[in-house]
Amino acid sequence: MATLNLNALGKTYPGGVTAASDVSAEISDGEFVVLVGPSGCGKSTILRMIAGLETITTGQLDIDGSRVNDREPGERDIAMVFQNYALYPHMSVRKNMEYGLKNEGLPKAQIAERISEAARTLRLEGYLDRKPRQLSGGQRQRVAMGRAIVRQPKVFLFDEPLSNLDAKLRTELRAELKALHHRLGATFIYVTHDQVEAMSLADRIIIMNAGRVEQIGTPMDLYLRPATRFVAEFIGSPSMNMLEGRIGADRASLSFDSAPPLSLRGDLPGVEGQRIALGVRPEHLDLAGDSAGRIDLSVRFVEQLGADTVVHGAVSGAEVPLAVRLAGVQRHETGTVLPLSYAPGNLHLFDADSGRRLEVEAG
Amino acid sequence: MQKRVIFRSKSLPYLLVLPQIVITLVFFFWPSYQALESSFFIEDAFGFSREWVGLRNYAELFADPGYLRSFRTTLIFGLSVAALALGMSLGLAVAANRVLRAAQVYRTLLIWPYAVAPALAGVIWYFLMNPSMGIVAYWLEGLGVEWNHYVNGDQALLLVVVAAAWKQVSYNFLFFLAGLQSIPKSLIEAAAIDRAGPIRRFWTITLPLLSPTTFFLLVVNLVYAFFDTFALIHATTEGGPADATSVLVFRVYNTGFIGQDYGSSAAQSVILMALVMGMTFIQFRYVERKVNY
Repeated sequence: MATLNLNALGKTYPGGVTAASDVSAEISDGEFVVLVGPSGCGKSTILRMIAGLETITTGQLDIDGSRVNDREPGERDIAMVFQNYALYPHMSVRKNMEYGLKNEGLPKAQIAERISEAARTLRLEGYLDRKPRQLSGGQRQRVAMGRAIVRQPKVFLFDEPLSNLDAKLRTELRAELKALHHRLGATFIYVTHDQVEAMSLADRIIIMNAGRVEQIGTPMDLYLRPATRFVAEFIGSPSMNMLEGRIGADRASLSFDSAPPLSLRGDLPGVEGQRIALGVRPEHLDLAGDSAGRIDLSVRFVEQLGADTVVHGAVSGAEVPLAVRLAGVQRHETGTVLPLSYAPGNLHLFDADSGRRLEVEAG
Repeated sequence: MQKRVIFRSKSLPYLLVLPQIVITLVFFFWPSYQALESSFFIEDAFGFSREWVGLRNYAELFADPGYLRSFRTTLIFGLSVAALALGMSLGLAVAANRVLRAAQVYRTLLIWPYAVAPALAGVIWYFLMNPSMGIVAYWLEGLGVEWNHYVNGDQALLLVVVAAAWKQVSYNFLFFLAGLQSIPKSLIEAAAIDRAGPIRRFWTITLPLLSPTTFFLLVVNLVYAFFDTFALIHATTEGGPADATSVLVFRVYNTGFIGQDYGSSAAQSVILMALVMGMTFIQFRYVERKVNY
């Protein structure tokens, strides 16, 4: 049970490499926060600074209102689950879970009680006397979680805990994690590069890029109102279509370098001639019933996923890639041209240079 | 993936391994056989005649209190050398593993003693510890310790133990450092989060995970102390005073070349060979498997 306050945290290594800078966030008690971003964006560094495994070079970290910058990892009342599980290979599952509790000096009876409870929750009862190498990947990861749970820490930290598992197991454990968070009611901070994991687990997402925070918000905030072009393209699969062009003279059309201008309903923000990127998600495009289509897609290839069909191609007459996600099973031949429509509310505009979101004034 | 090479001609592969086989036969099997054979004979000092005596050489050895004392000395010597060399090198390796800058230089410097020839190592220590002119002996005198390994058998043994261990530290250090570096960092981090301080982490995580390395080095060090320290002892104490540093290998030399009792010397060599074989067996049997986990 804890609140965390990240105040302008930064990490610069002795060699001069800056892994993260100016990361601020307030994490409230019992919240499930996911740090997400591409590899090398600094998300793991942030987690390791919270854990105390990396020194904090700038800024301040508070747990429950008190500064913990200089506290040892063991003194921060946190538990961490590592990507490679980090189970002690020479100890049985039971010994692995006991280790932290023994170091705390907890009475034996209490240790036994906590372990049997954790083993029950994580369905590890039959494996307590096995060594880690005798377990499957999923079981190992559950042991790693067990080792964290028995400690009853204020904050749980997860460093890409599912990325070494296969897809099916990942989905299963994801659900277990969500249930675990619900049951424990503790603060969870979770690092992943997988946006699906982030969307499905998080109460709030901190999305990072190149050592900086791009946006902090609920999954739906990020999906519906991405603050930057980076967020827009990172969240959602397949990722958002981006059409780069200039704002036309009437501020209601977008002209492309090599395609007929696209007319939009409503006034565009910004000034005439400004370079912008127009984003629209593949699932927000649909086949136009008649010839009233706004964009024509010339089909290159089709991905049949069963539940839906993703058609990849380019804007007709231009080399701008475009994808559309259509419901159900559909057949479209390569080379055909599909007229597409969209609802104006589903458009996102970004400044082409800064990547910042521009608000569309609905007309 | 193992790639198998197939030879078309049958003689070529044999031809290729022939040099190795010849070397092994001439330099290892032949002398070994000679030793084994000689151990059943009593030979006169000039090699003109010999007499078959069966196991009498062996029987006499085990009835000889001097030989049994050598066994004890060897055991004390070997275990002390192994303990000292392992302890020191582990300490150095742990320290080196923490050093981030100049680690390469540090490592290279620590490897140097290994390149020193055993006899030379002996001489270095001989000079350092010499009661009349050695600097360390002088310091010891300043501390009130009267050092004279020509008279005091325990001090003589201590001298050869230190000299032998010093030479082995580099070798052990390299293995320990490699072992330490192969322990995943996240394990140590997990232990730190589990509230284990640095010392507790060392005893409960690092040391158990190093146990395969430690066991391997223990066997190697014992073999080294038992069989490879002849030159060192020969250069420093020559087995004395009063047999105090006469380990088994040294006794083989003494009996054979000084005492000219070839039969007994050969029998001692055979016993040593059996010991080496025993230790090699233990090593293959247990080191190849991972110890402890």
